[in-house]
Amino acid sequence: MTTDSEILSTMSRTLGDLLDNDSIVLTAATRRSDVEGWDSFTYISFIASIEMEFRVKFGVADVESFEDVGAIVRRLKALRGK
Amino acid sequence: MLFNSYEFVFFFLPITAIAFYMLGSRSKSLAIGWLILASLAFYAWWRPLNVALIAPSILINYALARLLLRLGAGQKPAAARAVLVVGIAFNVMFLGYFKYANFLVRAVNDVAGTGYVLDHIILPLGISFITFQKIAFLVDVAAGRVKEFTLRDYCLFVLFFPQLIAGPIVHYREVMPQFQAAPCRFDGSAVAVGLTLFFAGLFKKVVLADGISPMVSSIYADAAGGHPITMLYAWMAAIGFTLQIYFDFSGYSDMAIGIARLFGVTLPANFNSPLRANSIIDFWLRWHLTLTRFLTAYIYNPLSLWLTRRRMAKGLKGVSGRNTPPGAFVTVLMLPTLFTMGISGLWHGAGYTFIFWGFLHGIFLSINHLWILLTRRYWPNHQRYDFLINSASFMLTFVAVVSAMVFFKSDTMTSAWNVLAGMIGRHGIAMPEATMVHLGHFAGLAKALVVQIAPPDVHFGALARWIAGLLAVAWFCPNTLQILSAATPATGVDLQQPYKHGPALHLRWSMSFVWLLAVTVTTVVAVLHLGGVSEFLYWQF
Repeated sequence: MTTDSEILSTMSRTLGDLLDNDSIVLTAATRRSDVEGWDSFTYISFIASIEMEFRVKFGVADVESFEDVGAIVRRLKALRGK
Repeated sequence: MLFNSYEFVFFFLPITAIAFYMLGSRSKSLAIGWLILASLAFYAWWRPLNVALIAPSILINYALARLLLRLGAGQKPAAARAVLVVGIAFNVMFLGYFKYANFLVRAVNDVAGTGYVLDHIILPLGISFITFQKIAFLVDVAAGRVKEFTLRDYCLFVLFFPQLIAGPIVHYREVMPQFQAAPCRFDGSAVAVGLTLFFAGLFKKVVLADGISPMVSSIYADAAGGHPITMLYAWMAAIGFTLQIYFDFSGYSDMAIGIARLFGVTLPANFNSPLRANSIIDFWLRWHLTLTRFLTAYIYNPLSLWLTRRRMAKGLKGVSGRNTPPGAFVTVLMLPTLFTMGISGLWHGAGYTFIFWGFLHGIFLSINHLWILLTRRYWPNHQRYDFLINSASFMLTFVAVVSAMVFFKSDTMTSAWNVLAGMIGRHGIAMPEATMVHLGHFAGLAKALVVQIAPPDVHFGALARWIAGLLAVAWFCPNTLQILSAATPATGVDLQQPYKHGPALHLRWSMSFVWLLAVTVTTVVAVLHLGGVSEFLYWQF
């Protein structure tokens, strides 16, 4: 089972690749507004990349409701646990 | 029943609120039941048939939601998904029949040259708003975000009269926990905040929006009549209507949020000084926020995510900051944006002008995003020119918004093009002599600039002054929610953030004598303007 910190580090790398910024470090409390350039459009790409990376598929309501990175991690773990 | 009518202000609202508090002190259940009954009466006021049209849809949605709840608990995702699809299809078709059947027939006739005629279909009041809210509820239940609800809860959620007819569009999870926690008793501070917002909104509607409305409408009537609209008139029509609809709809939203507060519920904000936006993206994060939120969550995101998944499955990149490939920009950003904004236009009204308005905003948004991507890639140190860029961007946004509004207001495309052609000077520049005299030394300059003498018009100068005054309010004054920020009047926006600097800092509402006086004056002026009853622009949607 992947730990939270491993998931967060994969997420940070994915978002860093998307935004071309190696210095991005995501924590459970990070919100989209905390990261420069992480707009709603890059957010969709981020979600799709995470889905591919972890072989999961989020629902429409999930994508809308994630308030911070921690919420994505929790949902991801729930989906992988199934 | 209109919020800006005597019967609402002096009869319906006080009786509903006082009876709610009195019943609430005996039993919360009674108070909630009363609120549902009052909401039904509010809805039926104009046309009792409204209730007969909407009631079956409420019951069907309730039954589908219960079924979804049971399937979710029984771990049957495929069946739940099917029920959700049926539910969404039912709601879209329900809206489609009432709102779009006539337009569809007209479009078919236009294209095929046929002459089909449909009987007049009665449009249930507020159906566009109610439908979106019901769809959001089904999605929430399917996603497991609503775990339990009764028919009473559901009726209250759908029918709650402050936001029944024109929003704000809310989620079940936003309002129902508040009702569950609400004491349903008289709360002096909530009533103070609620009434302040209500009367501020009423003032915006009946004094400001209704004040400018006749002068603006007369120019659009000329345009519809085929008279070429000259440049100054065309710009005043475009800017004037933008201001009218802003004060009308944000006034309505203030009233809705204020009334809800009387019943212990804080609604999400719908407006946050949109005319101060410095980009089209920013505009949509300030204008009709709860609609933007709905369209993004339920149309744009699923569509864009689906397209992104397809691209990535083929090994292609999605939108990725400055490295976004052109193909990704077009397929997963521009197309879903155009589609979503086209739907937004269609949602506002069954007509070509609304659809075109939506598409225009889709194009504006796409250009805005392209600019961001291109500057990130090719102009990384543009920050040093930020002031210049922001100023230009602010003006460009304003021009884009007001130009698009011409389509929103005009009844036909021909009429809208007439105003647009005027705005770019195709019909010359003219002003009444009486106004030109006021220009003093500049009159000669104006004449040299091919300004012609327009027929005498008492409205010209008045409209110009109205526009200057309302623009000053929209651009430089804090909005009503910001003024009330100490009382957290609404959710969903950071009301403190733009409030840190400037003279506006002193304009903060508090429970004080000065503010009581200010609100009383606002109320008296607003109430004196009641009676010339006019509908809210958004009630027709």
